[in-house]
Amino acid sequence: MSDLTLARDLVRASLASLERNRERIDDLNVYPVPDGDTGTNMTMTARAVMEELDQTDTDERTALLKQVTRAALMGARGNSGVILSQIVRGAADALAREATLAEAFRSASDAAYRAVRQPVEGTMLSVIRELAEEAEQQASAANAELLAALVRRGEEAVARTPEQLAVLREAGVVDAGGAGLLELVRGIAASVSGEPLPDAPPARTELGVEAIHQELSRYRYCTAFLIEGDDLDAGGIESELEQLGDSLLVVGDREALKVHVHTDEPGRALAVGTARGVIDRVEIANMHEQTVQREERLLHAVPDAPPAQSAVVAVVAGDGNRMLFESLGATKIVEGGQTMNPSTAELVDAVAAADAQEVILLPNNSNVILSAEQAAELATTPVTVVPTESIQAGLAAMVSFLPERSAADNAAEMSQVLAGVVTGEVTIASRDADLNGVPVRKGRWLGLADGEAVAVGDEFDEVAERVAESLLAEPRMLLTVLTGADAPDLDALLDGIRERHPELELEVQAGGQPHYPLLLSAE
Amino acid sequence: MHLTAQNTAIVLDSTADFPEAPERFSNWRVVPLYVLFGDESYRDYVELAPPEFYARLRTSEQLPTTSQPTPGDFLVTYEELAAYDRIYSLHISATLSGTYQSATTAAAEIGDKVRTVDSESASAAIAMLGLAIQHRLERGTTDEEVEALVDRYRDRAHLIFTVDTLEFLRRGGRIGRASAWAGQLLHVKPILTIEREVVPLKRVRGNQKAFQEFVSAFTSTTRDTPTLKVGIAHADAPERARQLEKMVHGERPQAEIEIVTTLGAVVGTHAGPGTVGFFWFDDAE
Repeated sequence: MSDLTLARDLVRASLASLERNRERIDDLNVYPVPDGDTGTNMTMTARAVMEELDQTDTDERTALLKQVTRAALMGARGNSGVILSQIVRGAADALAREATLAEAFRSASDAAYRAVRQPVEGTMLSVIRELAEEAEQQASAANAELLAALVRRGEEAVARTPEQLAVLREAGVVDAGGAGLLELVRGIAASVSGEPLPDAPPARTELGVEAIHQELSRYRYCTAFLIEGDDLDAGGIESELEQLGDSLLVVGDREALKVHVHTDEPGRALAVGTARGVIDRVEIANMHEQTVQREERLLHAVPDAPPAQSAVVAVVAGDGNRMLFESLGATKIVEGGQTMNPSTAELVDAVAAADAQEVILLPNNSNVILSAEQAAELATTPVTVVPTESIQAGLAAMVSFLPERSAADNAAEMSQVLAGVVTGEVTIASRDADLNGVPVRKGRWLGLADGEAVAVGDEFDEVAERVAESLLAEPRMLLTVLTGADAPDLDALLDGIRERHPELELEVQAGGQPHYPLLLSAE
Repeated sequence: MHLTAQNTAIVLDSTADFPEAPERFSNWRVVPLYVLFGDESYRDYVELAPPEFYARLRTSEQLPTTSQPTPGDFLVTYEELAAYDRIYSLHISATLSGTYQSATTAAAEIGDKVRTVDSESASAAIAMLGLAIQHRLERGTTDEEVEALVDRYRDRAHLIFTVDTLEFLRRGGRIGRASAWAGQLLHVKPILTIEREVVPLKRVRGNQKAFQEFVSAFTSTTRDTPTLKVGIAHADAPERARQLEKMVHGERPQAEIEIVTTLGAVVGTHAGPGTVGFFWFDDAE
């Protein structure tokens, strides 16, 4: 067989093997950048070599290898393609010197390592290096046998990549580039031995247990087992288990079902199984423990990844407000506020549950600040109280929060933000009173700005407008309005504000707090 | 070796967002990355101009992806520059893109002539590094001086940017681990920088506060001097760029605004419309 024919056969076979795994490899891609194109990039690179071989009629080995090298370089797509082009170059350099297969793999591995500034284990690089080592150990074997051994070693090396690289382990995948390289070798081995390629694994497998575990669960126990029986009803089992937890997976057929669920009650989950059939292969794992272990592993494996340094515990009233705090990254919300102040013990518990190195506590009410300070003294975690006196103020502080910063830095940043915030409220007077010389009768609208009564009246719009205008007396950029559980229609009020302050950014959110139809803040 | 604009070439990749470079300087070249809408591949700027890209981004159901140049793309460019004795090839942070990998792979084919530089930054920051090198080439310089400049630039050049949504950065996988801190509900604007990778600096609410952050970051790190160089880049947000220009003229009247540019399709794919980037470097020696 001529060199050209041989080269065409080998490249065609390896390209075919890669192509049938292309989508699966795309799905594996999380490193170095999780953009899901490794399979495609390697396929395009290999295709560029094939196209060159299809066009050329050179049959002189050295010239042919030069063309192959150049084609791989010109067609190399993505990082995996670039590294592949260097593997091709290394192998071609050796083969031009009539080297053995073992020498070619060694040369390929060396070229790949040379191309990368900071080689990382658990990637294509460690896979090609292991292939080179295996080829050297089997150097005396016939080519077909040697290639079969390389496929086996390649499979092992690829399977080992999650042990070597934390981001793969975290995502529950093997390295995409390594997997692609293995398919190329598998294609070559099949071509040389004359055996057909094995069926490619399916592109998208069922949602794997590892993938699910990337999502933190609020339940403690990961529970998995097999139910064997006749005429098992997956749907019925699913709806019963749904009541017990989340991350539910029930797969299989009428004779055997694999069940996976996160729950606080593994015993009850198992009982669902024993009621329908025989259970087997029961695995129950304490996930909170797993989470801690995984985080520790990650911290060691990826030293430059900043762990979440601090967490926020906030005292908040109203479902909408709660959502706003959570969307900004508050870890724990303690329900409470005006007329329902949380106890010190509740705050201490919330701090402990936040499970962070340091905690920032936002009391969000002047009546809660004291218990917050007591909680800070009692808690075992270091706590910094940022003494926010209202939900609006707390929200403004929360915006500046970055978890990778220390509690002290976050608190300093929050205090700076708070210095530039004024807050106001509209409520209904709960009794007759005299506020700073303003007589207030029970049941009338009462408007406060920075804690001082600024308006009393029968018309909501008038009172609310007076509050808004006193917050906007100085030039402001942003007015935030949080509507309460029973807020009146705001259209006229907001239109008026927009007209008078055309440059102002105005944001209205449904806060859902009791007692205060409106909470306002201006920054 | 004595380096001049006659014997030294500068190669950028298209993420420098400086497409007019070869028209302005005969010793400059730009190697495009690729933008892909599904199977359709376009060379950044060359086959897909920013206005068309943003128009398509608004209407396309399919979101684009990007791909680094092949080593071959760089090789062809380096070979075209055969008449030059030295090539400085300046690129987007190797943490954000494989472009630098492709360039170094191609450079190894050519030999010692090509020096590849990982700018550890992106967009106009790369172009402004090129301009600082060009100023020295025009009066004559050495490799040592250029290398010292590169180090100083990495150390002292400032970049801050803000995006309308973190979705684009997140989808492209370019946001690293600091991904949890978006707050879409309250119009939260993240203030970001690039130190090899995208790093969060602050969160503020609303465009005006974001602008104010730009102002205070700029004024607190600069003084008014002609050596102060400024760049502005925006993704389909020219009015925000103009606002920044006006601010620079007001706060630092002696500063030179070297570049005001639209983010190209590749950077735009990862940052998203509404992104504004602000770059400055005091090129005092």
